[in-house]
Amino acid sequence: MKRIIIADDSATARMFIKRCLQIVGLGDAEIIEAEDGKQALEAAKEEPADLLLTDLNMPVMDGQTLVKWVKASPKLCDMPIIVITSAGNPAKEAQLLELGAYRVLNKPVSPPMMMEALEEFLD
Amino acid sequence: MTQYNSFYPAMIEAVQQTLENMVFMEVIEERGTPTDIPAAELTWSSMLINDPVQGEIRLAMPAVLLKKISGNVFGIDEEEVTTSQAYDILNELLNTIGGLFMTKLLPNQEYKIGLPSLESGKLPEADEHTVVWHLINSDEEPLKIYAGGESLLTMHTKAE
Repeated sequence: MKRIIIADDSATARMFIKRCLQIVGLGDAEIIEAEDGKQALEAAKEEPADLLLTDLNMPVMDGQTLVKWVKASPKLCDMPIIVITSAGNPAKEAQLLELGAYRVLNKPVSPPMMMEALEEFLD
Repeated sequence: MTQYNSFYPAMIEAVQQTLENMVFMEVIEERGTPTDIPAAELTWSSMLINDPVQGEIRLAMPAVLLKKISGNVFGIDEEEVTTSQAYDILNELLNTIGGLFMTKLLPNQEYKIGLPSLESGKLPEADEHTVVWHLINSDEEPLKIYAGGESLLTMHTKAE
């Protein structure tokens, strides 16, 4: 069973992501919800996940910092990270990909977008 | 002929895209006299635009519509929706609409937006530095978006 961490300070956003994951066929994955980057990082350290989906703008630890921390950890660095943001633009996307994010998606995320982003992951 | 740039349609597109994707709701621009939302029935949220222009975006709707949307989103009866759930949805809608709006206006430029925050009471009066979009859904329930701030509105320019 896949283990997926969703980091977003909005319960609504986390729910939308879970709904997308269900629609693309990951409804039976173990979903761990985090309200900020620090919680997500702690959850990943406790038990590495197969996928991390994170927002950018979060309190305590934002998504960009979370990406840096994950990629700097020998234990966690191979975990694919998808950043889902409402404030995306090509420059920010390039920056996040340079830091090691797998994909950057702009809100609102639709199931087809999620499907396309997770194509390799779902195979 | 006076033409406007993409500022006005960009917001309509941002709202339509967000509501269709997130809450499966279609909205169109309201024609004729805009439907007033009495202050007592109003719920709204605001978010700052910080860079490269400064301004504020607000999303307002009747509380009953927000409850209906929330019930649909969470898959529960409207009456079971908590205030916290409803307000979280309102903020997330505004966050998404605002980001999409700015991306449409500045597709290749970095921008900074704040976090949405729930407001109470009457909406501030719309002045000459405010653009208002009056929208309705298929049940003719109104939603309103406000974009204000002299700096932000420099992007809403006329081209002769």
